[in-house]
Amino acid sequence: MTPLELTRRHFLGRMNTGLAGLALSRLLTRDAAAAPAGATHFAPRARQVLQIFCPGAASHVDLWDHKPLLARHAGQPLPGAEAEVTFQGRNGNLMPSPWAFRPAGRSGKPISTLLPALARHVDDIAFIHSMTARTNTHGPGCIAMNTGFTREGFPSAGAWVSHALGSLNDNLPTFVAMPDIRGEPPNGKANWGPGFLPARHQGVPLAAQLPLRNAGRPAGISAAADAATRAFLDTMNREHAQARPGHDELGARISAYELAARMQLAAPEITDLAREPAHVHALYGTGDANPLKAAYARNCLLARRFLEQGVRFVSLYCASRASAVDGLLNWDAHKTLKADYERHAPIFDGPTAALLTDLKQRGLLRDVLVVWCTEFGRMPTHQEGTSGRDHNPDAFTTWLMGAGVKGGVSHGATDDFGRRAAVDVATVYDFHATLLHLLGFDHERLTFYHNGANRRLTDVHGHVIRPVLA
Amino acid sequence: MNPAGPASPRRLPRAALLLLAAAAPAAADEGIAFFEQKIRPVLVAHCHECHSAESAKLKGGLRLDVKAGWQRGGDSGLPAIVPGRPDESPLLQAMRHADPDFAMPPRQPRLPDAVIADFASWIRLGAPDPRTGDAGPARRADRNWWSLQPLARAFAHDSIDGFIAARLAERNLPLNPPADPRSLVRRMSYDVTGLPPTAEEVAAFTAAFARDADAATAALADRLLASPRYGERWGRHWLDVVRFGESNGFERNFIIDDLWPFRDWVIRSLNADRPFDRFIVEHLAGDVLGRDQPDVEVGSAFLVAGPYDDVGNQDPAAKAAIRAATLDDVVSTTAGAFLGLTLGCARCHHHKFDPIPTEDYYRVRAAFEGVEHGRRVIATAEERAAFTAATGELNAELARLNREIDALDRTIDLRAKALLAERRFPRPKMDPVRTEEPFPEVEARHVRFVIRQNTEQPGRAVARSRSRLTTRGGGRLTEFEVWSVDGRNVALAAHGGRAAGARGAVAEDFPEAYGPQLCIDGTHGEQWFIGQPAELTLTFARPERIDRIVFSNSKDGGQPEGQAQGATPCEYEVQVSADGQDWRTVASSADREPWSERVGLERLRPEVITPEEEASLAKLERERGRVQARLNQVPKLPQVWAGKFSQPAEATRVHVGGDPGKPGAPVAPASLDVLAGVLPGYALPVDAPEGERRLALARWITAEGNPLTPRVLANRVWQHHFGTGLVDTPSDFGFLGGAPSHPELLDFLARRLLHHGWRLKPLHREILLSRAYRQSAAHRPEAAALDRDTRLLWRFPPRRLGAEELRDTLLAVSGQLRLEPMGGPGFRLFRYTQNNVSTYFPLDAPGPETYRRAVYHQNARASVVDVLSDFDLPDIAFAAPRRASTTTPLQALTLLNHRFTLDLAAAFAARLTGPDPVGEAYALALQRPPSAAERAGAQRLVAEHGLAAFGRALLNASELLYLD
Repeated sequence: MTPLELTRRHFLGRMNTGLAGLALSRLLTRDAAAAPAGATHFAPRARQVLQIFCPGAASHVDLWDHKPLLARHAGQPLPGAEAEVTFQGRNGNLMPSPWAFRPAGRSGKPISTLLPALARHVDDIAFIHSMTARTNTHGPGCIAMNTGFTREGFPSAGAWVSHALGSLNDNLPTFVAMPDIRGEPPNGKANWGPGFLPARHQGVPLAAQLPLRNAGRPAGISAAADAATRAFLDTMNREHAQARPGHDELGARISAYELAARMQLAAPEITDLAREPAHVHALYGTGDANPLKAAYARNCLLARRFLEQGVRFVSLYCASRASAVDGLLNWDAHKTLKADYERHAPIFDGPTAALLTDLKQRGLLRDVLVVWCTEFGRMPTHQEGTSGRDHNPDAFTTWLMGAGVKGGVSHGATDDFGRRAAVDVATVYDFHATLLHLLGFDHERLTFYHNGANRRLTDVHGHVIRPVLA
Repeated sequence: MNPAGPASPRRLPRAALLLLAAAAPAAADEGIAFFEQKIRPVLVAHCHECHSAESAKLKGGLRLDVKAGWQRGGDSGLPAIVPGRPDESPLLQAMRHADPDFAMPPRQPRLPDAVIADFASWIRLGAPDPRTGDAGPARRADRNWWSLQPLARAFAHDSIDGFIAARLAERNLPLNPPADPRSLVRRMSYDVTGLPPTAEEVAAFTAAFARDADAATAALADRLLASPRYGERWGRHWLDVVRFGESNGFERNFIIDDLWPFRDWVIRSLNADRPFDRFIVEHLAGDVLGRDQPDVEVGSAFLVAGPYDDVGNQDPAAKAAIRAATLDDVVSTTAGAFLGLTLGCARCHHHKFDPIPTEDYYRVRAAFEGVEHGRRVIATAEERAAFTAATGELNAELARLNREIDALDRTIDLRAKALLAERRFPRPKMDPVRTEEPFPEVEARHVRFVIRQNTEQPGRAVARSRSRLTTRGGGRLTEFEVWSVDGRNVALAAHGGRAAGARGAVAEDFPEAYGPQLCIDGTHGEQWFIGQPAELTLTFARPERIDRIVFSNSKDGGQPEGQAQGATPCEYEVQVSADGQDWRTVASSADREPWSERVGLERLRPEVITPEEEASLAKLERERGRVQARLNQVPKLPQVWAGKFSQPAEATRVHVGGDPGKPGAPVAPASLDVLAGVLPGYALPVDAPEGERRLALARWITAEGNPLTPRVLANRVWQHHFGTGLVDTPSDFGFLGGAPSHPELLDFLARRLLHHGWRLKPLHREILLSRAYRQSAAHRPEAAALDRDTRLLWRFPPRRLGAEELRDTLLAVSGQLRLEPMGGPGFRLFRYTQNNVSTYFPLDAPGPETYRRAVYHQNARASVVDVLSDFDLPDIAFAAPRRASTTTPLQALTLLNHRFTLDLAAAFAARLTGPDPVGEAYALALQRPPSAAERAGAQRLVAEHGLAAFGRALLNASELLYLD
């Protein structure tokens, strides 16, 4: 037997191990990851993150933040701010939410009747009603919510977490971005970019409608030819590396090819939703008559599978970018709030609630921190000449749930009309500081040098929002 | 408060007090006593919590528990107390709460007036302070920082190798022996041109090297530096430094198709070895120096080659913030690229680590205050004159024809208006919210809605003549219903109806958007955007007896204050058909009151136009078409995305705390304070012409005696030969940047650069011919133990190919690389779509039109493409003066499985036509013969799976990707 054949058998053997070991991988890597190379600053409360992002500035006063005075003062000017000029121009008078709010859960938290399924989870959720943003524009707002900065080029929170904590499952990307079937969110790929962190920390786009790029064996190449090519390459690269001691990158490159081979096997297996039983599909609504809802439901189910397999950070998007019509593809209801949200909310509500239920039932919320976000809020007034709401960076709601989070609480508050955050005003930096804290990091000490500064996710700001911690 | 201080212990003249403090021990003791009695307790009680060695977190870098602490000051870089001058002492200003953003103690009322008065008195006394001890390690650089000192003039060595050997000798390390010729020629070819040598070039060099290594190496360096491939390689390095990207980034991220002339200019300039000081000046003020000289003027495109936010924002505070961010990109890039200063860190406050006052930031901003993003004509005077000559008469002719057509139209309109005044229409106006059209009961399988006009843009040309009743229509609809006599909406998709019609907008990533099916979905939520031809054709599941249609463009059916549904069809016909062939009109808008006067005039126009007028109009329009066609044939003057300039209306002001809403003192366009005392400065009036401001800044950056510019540039040259600069943070020569590994060598190189008149090629040559560069890359464990990162250069540092080198190499070895056209519009590895915002989809199967050098790829921001992005092509949100070199499984997936590799593997295989394909393959890809074992393995692979499988493996080989 030639050395080449030996290597080839050896190689195929390793690949088989990878396949068979896949189901066990999460269990195995959990222990190995107990003391990761990038050790935490203190004991973590959460080990993984599920970020659910509703781009387009989902209206706080129509979903989560009940403002009864809006109805009482409907049609009257917002006190002290008549015809205020915001992103798209002048504002009209106060406009009540088209939907009633009803108390939900033991906590009695009032939630919009647009979200009946999510309302059932309020006792596990910590709302932050006093969020503020530094921009009133969607693209910069989305990347700020993801990277802490309104301009492009900074690492996404998922990339920071990948950098800080590394992988729980080498067969899958550490950070997965799941764009909506309707397209990418505002500012697109910059939302999951690695910024100046090494490229391996980038969010890898992977969703039910978007398979992992280049992960399939190319058409026209037989499995045998593929294996023989890889084996030949492996031998070449090993001999090349052996002749160059002290050159660690060459060894890393050989490992990367092995990893890629395992990923190639793992990705289709994990993204194969047919492996889920019918009742789970029914729970999520993957067969819904509304194709947009069914598509989002499939991504919710896939997100759960990713988390179960140890993907460190999952960014799940519900809706996409700005289009030629405001509010068509995302939550940007400038002109026709009622019609827009009656399209978007049903897509979002049921599948998201199912995902939360499923995570809870499987015990995954012991490890997984769930955060819901959007880039900023909307005005309590209607936009002049329309029945929609303009952008409002001065107030919006986000929420947290799961590992390390106190359920059934509401932190901070907006003023009587939801125009501005008024009590315990919070920033995107605070939100990120809290997220890192739950993962075991002091946000001021997690830094990376770039172009003249030791950069942080939280720039030079941020305070942990302690009242939401369990 | 009385500035003289009400509670001065003794009312002595200040000078006398100072004199006493300095000269008389007794007075000094009294000063100390005053400190101990009045000052120290206050410091301990109110300041030490945040400003002492015991502070959990030292705030602002300021310590007040030792004298040295206030003398050094905090992060502002200024002493906290100026002895003798209370009003100039920041500490006292803070205690007085003069500025609410800088009030101490923080978030508390002021300390009692008496205490503040004590501090004023103490400072006036000269701030006597007995406390000793140092203020801890320096947390920042001051004016003595190494990079701010003049370039050295005298050197201990007279060659690069002298400096390298001296540093190695300190650690008892020798250089490696010389590299073998194959390694050297590969290394040098890549370094200088970014491409591999051919097997023939390797053989020729190896032979020449054996005869006379020095001569062969010098000849090789000269050949490579003379190659046009040099500019393509080194131009790419420079484009990274100046954050060159061909889309605007941010939310809309639209692609920019006319910035490539800047890229070509950079490549051309490097190939021509244009002196770099001139090159820099042209970046900043090419338009000022080179009016009508495109080759000079185009350099100024540098100013607008960065990202900027173009979304229309009506909020005035947001507008100011966006403008500030736009200029920040220009300011920060300029300072980083040319000076190695992180000036952006001084935007909100004095630089925290370098001695850069915040005013310096705004001095540079003042230079760029007139810069706006956009395109402008860049042409020679001759081109402009020729264009005017070619178009002048045609434009005059066009204007005349337009006047005649308008005059004729007006007379026709006059008669139409008269007719409209007396015409009565039996039915009311259509209603965009809901319009019903009843008609006599009919059996049909199909209904067609033919749209002629919409409510917002009634078309002039639509109904000009009887003979040309064109369909124009347009607008949008949310719902269209067809009712059967038994009360069913038979058009509904849920009832088996189908809708067909062109759409006026597309969203490629979301194909369902804007389509006609939205009219029959039973909801009023989403709109069909009506395209051309403006017709909606409905087909029912079966023939139906129908008697009315209802259409609507309302999105929510009656929310407060208007509908905002946009343009709606208002002139139309409803047609029915049994078979989809023969159509019969059963209803129309003709007997409705017209939506507007304009619509009414268009409707009646065919009735009043005379045959003569019709003929005249047709003739005039034909003539107009001919003139327009001739105008279109005149080549346009070239436009470049090079920015537009206008004189700023107001003086530039400091933004307090970086907030454009808090304007501070005006700042003149002037040289930077950080280098005052090193070279002569300048200060222009605050209203100086904007072009002069940029030119003055450029001349100061490149002035003799500016130590930063040549140091930074020499370091970049070194960096791209050895992988790491002598300073490993190439755009940051400040406190947080890296210390130079060989400070003297850096100055030596900077001096050589100046000696060569700012030309790079002679400097390259000196580096390429050095022994340090020509040594082998072999690893030595004992040396690595002392210098793992090879900063001392005991060997040549091996490296992976960069993204462009890798792609170019795959193309070159498979014989597919197209060197022409060398420049011009870039190629794309993405599909670009625009629907309000832009989306970039990576290409699954890039064709041969993409087989150009990667420097010609149109690099859009926030786009990700295969191969290049995988191998660390940076997203150009920022300057990327130093690229990452990562190893990831995604690289493996791409390089193994992407169509690009497979196509090239096939092309590579097709090149292997000789009797020894394996040997040929090794020669082409790796410029060496295979070993016996390699040959055996390769032959088996080829025998079993073909040459392409073998090619695919070779194109993935580490040996192809790594240089020794």
